[in-house]
Amino acid sequence: MAMSDRAMTRRGFLAAGLGAAAVPLLAGCSSNLGNTVASGLFGARLPSETLVFWNLFGGGDGSRMETMEAGYRKKYGPNSLQATTFAWGNPYYTKVTLATVGNKPPDVAISHLTRAKPLWSGGLLEPITADDLSSVGLSPADFSPAPWKEQRTDGKNIAVPLDTHPIVMFFNTDVCRKAGLVDSDGKLKALDDMDAFESALAAISKVTGGVALTIPNVGGETATPWRVFWTFYNQNKAATPFLSDNGSKLTVDEDVFAKVNERLQSWVKKGWVNKALDYATAESYMFTGKSGLYLEGEWEITTAQSVKGLKFGMVPIPNLYDQPAAQADSHTFVLPRKDRTPQERHQAMLFIRSMLDQSMTWAKGGHIPAFQRVANSAAYKALEPQADYASAAKHAVYDDPAWYGGSGSTFEGIVGAELGLIQQLASTPQAAMQSIKDQLSVYLNTPSPL
Amino acid sequence: MTTATVTTPRSRSARETKVRFNSPLQRKDSRSAWLFIAPFGVFYLAFLLGPTIYMFVMSFFNTSTVHAGLGSFAGFANYAEMLSRPDFWSSLLHTLQFTLYTTPPLVILAFIFAVLTNRMNRGQWFYRLAFFLPFILPSATISLIWVFIFTPTTGLWAMVETWFGITPGSGVLSSPNTAMIGIAIATVWWTLGFNFVLYLAGLQEIPRELYEAAAVDGASAWEQIRFITIPQLGRTTALVVLLQIIASLKIFDQVYLMTSGGPGTSTQVLLQLITGTGFTDNRLGAASAASVLLFIVIIIVAIIRQLIGRAAARKEA
Amino acid sequence: MAISTPRPRMKSPVSAAAPARSVQTKTSGRAFNIVALIVLIVFAIIWLIPSLFALKTSLTDNGTAALGASAILADWNPTLASYASYFTSGNIWNWYIASAITSVVTAVLTVFFASMTAYALSRLKFRGSNLVMLLIILGIMIPSQVLIVPIFQELNAMSLLNTYWSVIFPQVPAVIAVFIFKSFFDGIPRELEEAARIDGAGRWRVYWSVVMPLSQPVIAAVTILTFVGVWNNLLLPLFVLSNPDLMTVPVGLATVQGSFGQRYADIQAGAVLAALPLVILYLIFQRRIVEGVTGSGLKG
Repeated sequence: MAMSDRAMTRRGFLAAGLGAAAVPLLAGCSSNLGNTVASGLFGARLPSETLVFWNLFGGGDGSRMETMEAGYRKKYGPNSLQATTFAWGNPYYTKVTLATVGNKPPDVAISHLTRAKPLWSGGLLEPITADDLSSVGLSPADFSPAPWKEQRTDGKNIAVPLDTHPIVMFFNTDVCRKAGLVDSDGKLKALDDMDAFESALAAISKVTGGVALTIPNVGGETATPWRVFWTFYNQNKAATPFLSDNGSKLTVDEDVFAKVNERLQSWVKKGWVNKALDYATAESYMFTGKSGLYLEGEWEITTAQSVKGLKFGMVPIPNLYDQPAAQADSHTFVLPRKDRTPQERHQAMLFIRSMLDQSMTWAKGGHIPAFQRVANSAAYKALEPQADYASAAKHAVYDDPAWYGGSGSTFEGIVGAELGLIQQLASTPQAAMQSIKDQLSVYLNTPSPL
Repeated sequence: MTTATVTTPRSRSARETKVRFNSPLQRKDSRSAWLFIAPFGVFYLAFLLGPTIYMFVMSFFNTSTVHAGLGSFAGFANYAEMLSRPDFWSSLLHTLQFTLYTTPPLVILAFIFAVLTNRMNRGQWFYRLAFFLPFILPSATISLIWVFIFTPTTGLWAMVETWFGITPGSGVLSSPNTAMIGIAIATVWWTLGFNFVLYLAGLQEIPRELYEAAAVDGASAWEQIRFITIPQLGRTTALVVLLQIIASLKIFDQVYLMTSGGPGTSTQVLLQLITGTGFTDNRLGAASAASVLLFIVIIIVAIIRQLIGRAAARKEA
Repeated sequence: MAISTPRPRMKSPVSAAAPARSVQTKTSGRAFNIVALIVLIVFAIIWLIPSLFALKTSLTDNGTAALGASAILADWNPTLASYASYFTSGNIWNWYIASAITSVVTAVLTVFFASMTAYALSRLKFRGSNLVMLLIILGIMIPSQVLIVPIFQELNAMSLLNTYWSVIFPQVPAVIAVFIFKSFFDGIPRELEEAARIDGAGRWRVYWSVVMPLSQPVIAAVTILTFVGVWNNLLLPLFVLSNPDLMTVPVGLATVQGSFGQRYADIQAGAVLAALPLVILYLIFQRRIVEGVTGSGLKG
């Protein structure tokens, strides 16, 4: 009696425990859910017929990427692709890192070129071989030289560049025309030396009755001050890398740092450049004619084109010092470290090829295609205003490789915040440099964890 | 309450040890006791005590997220780094700021709502629902709701501001001066229900005779609250405040989801610094050092809490 | 109410903090009551507004929702489109399954393991019980959130990252549950067990057939609290589950970005979907949940 009781209850206990886990298991068996549950419970591999792709694109880029993903699905079937978008910046790269460490990475992921390097040195990426490229009809010659050269690391290809996205100069056509800076076919006159540029700023300032050029630098905006600084800094022949040896040495040329920033401060003091504006406001100044020029990445083309009645153009940032330069990064495709069958690897390359083939769609969002068959096509050359600034890709300057560097990184956050203070006249270039040194010392003195 | 249950078996067992382990039956008890404890014990050692010890060990090494093993020995470098980092101290400061913003409303409003609800003859379920329901919602839901309410210019918060003749600014969460206030408002709304039910439970324990006696003496409603309810709920209040301080030290969800520590680092808190250092900078060793420091702070607060609880229990006894 | 009249010596009403169904008079007590009622109702409504606003937004179309709060409130064309978008595409089913499995399994394991430990501590005399008690007290002071870094590393070493177990295992040793069970068991009269013992039942049998059946209220409380706690946890699953297929509902909502544009209605529908199972649970087990939370609060 007692025995059977005990057996009953024990069986009941087991049934309760198993039942709880089994119900969803059974419910999902017929579909993909079953595979997911098996993976969650037993660490099984997720189904491989679907290619998993992660990216960090929101806004206009996000919707264009969706269009391109639809293009891939059209070719390879509706269930051929599972695309996931994560929040931009550090959260995204954290996810890519942890998923790879935890053995469930995507098949293909987007990475900024400057962030692919730390991922590579952490052993999280697989090199892309010449065979991989040729298996889908690609060769190094198919890509613009600057990003291709930049991605080569340790003699390997670590990423396939999709684009180059430099910072450019937006101009409000109406304001600049009143300032006498626009020629008859609506193009901005060349402003490629300091005197010409400063007299243009003075002229625009007269038209707007306020600032001539806006650069966002408050409200958490640290990236733009960095992009602007890195552009002008590298236009100097004397410019040295900011960081060397993967971020263990600070090698910035302090004279050039001071020179560039003092010039910027003089513009602020003359009222030509704003003291403190956040991203959206700085942009709306140019849209509404409160300023004539605006420095930002070319991706803002989507927002600008959505403003009704706005006439605007985009050009490379003028060369004010010794040589043309524009801070830039590239969106690239990377293959996270993962057990793959040859077929899966080939499919990943087919996906990359399919995305590259649709570079024209991508280019509409402002990005300069890295895929030369599109970049050199008549269709791209006819695209306005994209064609006007495409040359900026030739003079692209990437951030220095560092384990804490790259787009949206800790490095950009620290240095960009100080540069923002310089522009607000809240700090001198010398004081800012000292503060940068203090804050970076932790990272400079720490051995790279990668 | 904890202390009361804890001290009894200890003092009893000390005296009984000698007698206890003689008979075979008791030895059998001992064996089954360990069998009863074993399953929980395995998890306790593997996922509570083990990680705690491992955290201390890792904090002395340059452990990396992407490489196996502990990495090179770092000595006290990780601690020196954390203690000299401005963002470590500012994160602690933000925690303090958050505690200061949330504790008074969480104590005072919860107290008022509980006292008033306790008085109602009917509809108690409704007030419980209104005040307590948010507490069981996921932080993701809370954050999505409040970020939406705080949408600049067109959000619900901005709409209410316009009703009161205030021009809505650039949004509560977008300014470093107000972002923490926004997080605090969402948190008060979310967790008030917890204190509310604690106070309600405390109110049930106040002897009715106290009020009757006071009423006989002619005490007004306010005087009854002032001289009976508030002192009688003193222990609950102390508990609520201490729990709030500990919860503030461990705050992560709302900040991560509502502002990710921004604008700038104006709302960054310690657990974010820890996860940022560990999982974004890939430096688990340094992150462990920060964890140990936070761990020590929390343990100190918890010990203070135990001491206060013990003192109160002694006073009552 | 009737009680107040036969007590002539009472000069003023028992009021304010006095429990309901109590002594009240007709004059100042009633005025106080009305003020109290109004204050309470106003605040209760304020407290309900955010949830109701989220619900209302989730039932509006995305276009209207983008126009702002006043447009949402003025809109009277409710639509389930936002909910439909979750159920037709996206990962919501995967997320629900991950949340359900992790919450249920953790709750079951916690209830059994914690109650067994509590039973041993409450009823069995054994060498080392002091040490166990000390470890339990120590455990209650360890803030598990602070352990995220070593736990991640440990799960990585065990190859458990990106499995449901990585969320379940670290949440099983809920020391507070041992306390809740122990204080309940301490209150159960020993006579019941002794009768069974005399009949020859072993410890396991007593625990299983005598003590546990008597402990249904506390089992329910611990089950529900664990379920809610695991369902709502963000920190742990955020870092141990990085594959969107395997994420829990809160983590999925917090990390996976919806498609392009400000789809406020969709976002609020997501907020509602994450909360829905808990709201249902609350409506069913209202009293148990409140009691459980109170109990754990007073002890934790």
